Amino acid sequence: MSAGTSSTVGEQPAGQPCYADAASYSPARIVAHTKIADNTWRLRLDCPAIASTAIPGQFAMVRIPHRSDPLLARPLAVYDTFADASGEAGEAPLRRYADFIYAVHGRFTTALREVPVGHELIAWGPLGNGFQIPAVEHLVLVAGGIGQTALLGLGRERLGQAAYGPASRLQPPRSGRVTCCWGARHAGLFGGIEDYRSAGIDVHQATLDGSAGLRGTVVDLLDSLFDQPGAVPPAAHTRRLHIACCGPDPMMAAVARWAAARQISCDVSLEAPMACGIGICFTCVARVRDDSGSWDYRRTCIEGPVFDATRIEW
Amino acid sequence: MPPPESVVPSPAMATPQPASPAIPLTVSLGRLRLPNPIMVASGTFGYGREMSGFVDLARLGGVVPKTITPLPRPGNTPWRTVETAAGLLNSIGLDNDGIDSFLARQLPFLVRCGAPVIVSIAGGSQADFVALASRLDGVPGIAALELNISCPNVSHGIDMGTDPVACRGVVEGVRSVTALPILAKLTPNVTSIVEIARAAKDGGADAVTLINTCQGMAVDWRRRRPLLGNVIGGLSGPAIKPIALRCVHQVRQAVDIPIVGVGGIMTIDDCMEFFVTGASAVQIGTANFAEPIASARLLDGLPAALAELGATGMADVIGTLAVPQRAPCPPATPPSGSSPHAT
Ligand SMILES: Cc1cc2nc3c(=O)[nH]c(=O)nc-3n(C[C@H](O)[C@H](O)[C@H](O)COP(=O)(O)OP(=O)(O)OC[C@H]3O[C@@H](n4cnc5c(N)ncnc54)[C@H](O)[C@@H]3O)c2cc1C
Ligand SMILES: Cc1cc2nc3c(=O)[nH]c(=O)nc-3n(C[C@H](O)[C@H](O)[C@H](O)COP(=O)(O)O)c2cc1C
Ligand code: FES
Repeated sequence: MSAGTSSTVGEQPAGQPCYADAASYSPARIVAHTKIADNTWRLRLDCPAIASTAIPGQFAMVRIPHRSDPLLARPLAVYDTFADASGEAGEAPLRRYADFIYAVHGRFTTALREVPVGHELIAWGPLGNGFQIPAVEHLVLVAGGIGQTALLGLGRERLGQAAYGPASRLQPPRSGRVTCCWGARHAGLFGGIEDYRSAGIDVHQATLDGSAGLRGTVVDLLDSLFDQPGAVPPAAHTRRLHIACCGPDPMMAAVARWAAARQISCDVSLEAPMACGIGICFTCVARVRDDSGSWDYRRTCIEGPVFDATRIEW
Repeated sequence: MPPPESVVPSPAMATPQPASPAIPLTVSLGRLRLPNPIMVASGTFGYGREMSGFVDLARLGGVVPKTITPLPRPGNTPWRTVETAAGLLNSIGLDNDGIDSFLARQLPFLVRCGAPVIVSIAGGSQADFVALASRLDGVPGIAALELNISCPNVSHGIDMGTDPVACRGVVEGVRSVTALPILAKLTPNVTSIVEIARAAKDGGADAVTLINTCQGMAVDWRRRRPLLGNVIGGLSGPAIKPIALRCVHQVRQAVDIPIVGVGGIMTIDDCMEFFVTGASAVQIGTANFAEPIASARLLDGLPAALAELGATGMADVIGTLAVPQRAPCPPATPPSGSSPHAT
């Protein structure tokens, strides 16, 4: 359906629901399904309506048909989109395949892993608001675990390497830097890191056990990159840096605090569990502050999942 | 497991299919006439607006928006839902912006959507219900009220749904301030659903909606904590269909009042089971989450299912269950010397 009263995908004013008017519901055939890291799988679906319009940070609800267990779909971030099943990007409007990366975790992902190429899933999307492309000079992507899936496309767009979604989506000047600070439990969990590197994104890793990169969290990584002597002076952060962050809640809260203390703008893509993804169940709520500073539970599926971090009451 | 028809979705929005020699689908719930018996359940369809990209709302037999209360309620602390085997536990806690916001922001869209709008209301006392009903009485575009006296996630509601006297009082109170048809939505978490349904009828309800969710709970044993923020919640989805059917059956057999069946409906077979058992209409709930086009798909499948029974209208199907006479149990005469615990 054409967009009704809501504005263009990804451009709705803060606090306004982004209804799923432009979402499509359809079967989606699996064209590739491979393990890419410990416990981590990459899924390519034939889903033109999603692939041709999704922007970074948007998600699709994906369900395994013929089953009442798991009964419901799960939200998965649209990781990348392609015109060709073999992985040729092509122009955004012609894209027909969407890639998703998932970590095997519970009911749904354990079952999904077993569904072979050629079978059909059900998918509806693209959903949610997605990221705006920041106009600052230096974009810092901060990923925790599987949260990286929401961020690759934004890095590519900022480097002028790819365009997603409608032609109207604002493209910034191509010059600029993109750094990715990616934290995970151990070295085996960085599925997709080559995509970041080949996009020209400067990737820094942190692991809790020290098996790759810095031993510690992404906040330790941010400290080491930006607060060390000789690094970008904090006073200059405000105008030049912007953070886009996705990962578990405690990690996003810590990154939001880090950014706020340095007056760096920060967008977070929340990963609240969802039952419907389209605003009808009120499962996915987060405490979101309005202009007066008081919070209310808001549906992250249609008012997010991307929020200005200063609006979230963690 | 749902039969294959539940999982072959129509592309994008479900489109009306040419019906087999147009069987009329209209049904009546007391004074409320519906164009067809496929409604959508409160709390599972937002305020309608959210679904307009997936379902042509004008086709639905009725839309019941999320329950509203006199004042805004923030709702319960997350986690608010947990998926369980073939079911969903929820404790949303009637998160809503209150009646003023509903009238200003949600109702105008619903009234234009083209389907009968049945407004679901809840309060902590009989006075709340009566106040809500009198505000809604005379508001153009409302077809009926559904009294949610059964929400397991707010402490007061459940009392009115479990005590026949309180139930009758609420329905009578609402009846006295509005001419709108009244549906009383009941909880299965009672000893005798028949008693409560009878009380609703005596209070003046046009129909009863059976059932709201069944109380349940989920636990993370490793962390030794309940999964729902509210600890206890309501179970919905295919797991509760047998309970809902049982409630419809018991009320149909004992009380002369139209019934709206709700609970675990995912397929057209599920719908037909409810109709045959005694429901004049059904509401689609959790299925909307698993498959946003579910209501339209079920409506598409209805004419063929009716034709299979040779029906010329819904009346040929509703409550036509052939119930075998139950032979009385022979008195238990344990052989002498057997353990008193033997079964
Ligand atoms: C916008 C968005 C994008 C996402 N993108 C991705 C992605 O790209 N890749 C990816 O792998 N995952 C992604 N997720 C998470 C994903 O949707 C699933 O939650 C995840 O895959 C686990 O599903 P599961 O059925 O396997 O696990 P489940 O069986 O659902 O359980 C997963 C874990 O969550 C806990 N849990 C269960 N119910 C709840 C609840 N109601 N609230 C909080 N915790 C609960 C369980 O205890 C368990 O530890 C995204 C989530 C959102 C909201
Ligand atoms: C997430 C959720 C929220 C619900 N909210 C309401 C509500 O606000 N008012 C109400 O009367 N019923 C509410 N219900 C109950 C449903 O309307 C329905 O009675 C119940 O879920 C059983 O049907 P189902 O198995 O088809 O979902 C809710 C159910 C769910 C799953
Ligand atoms: S997931 Fe259902 S309202 Fe957001």
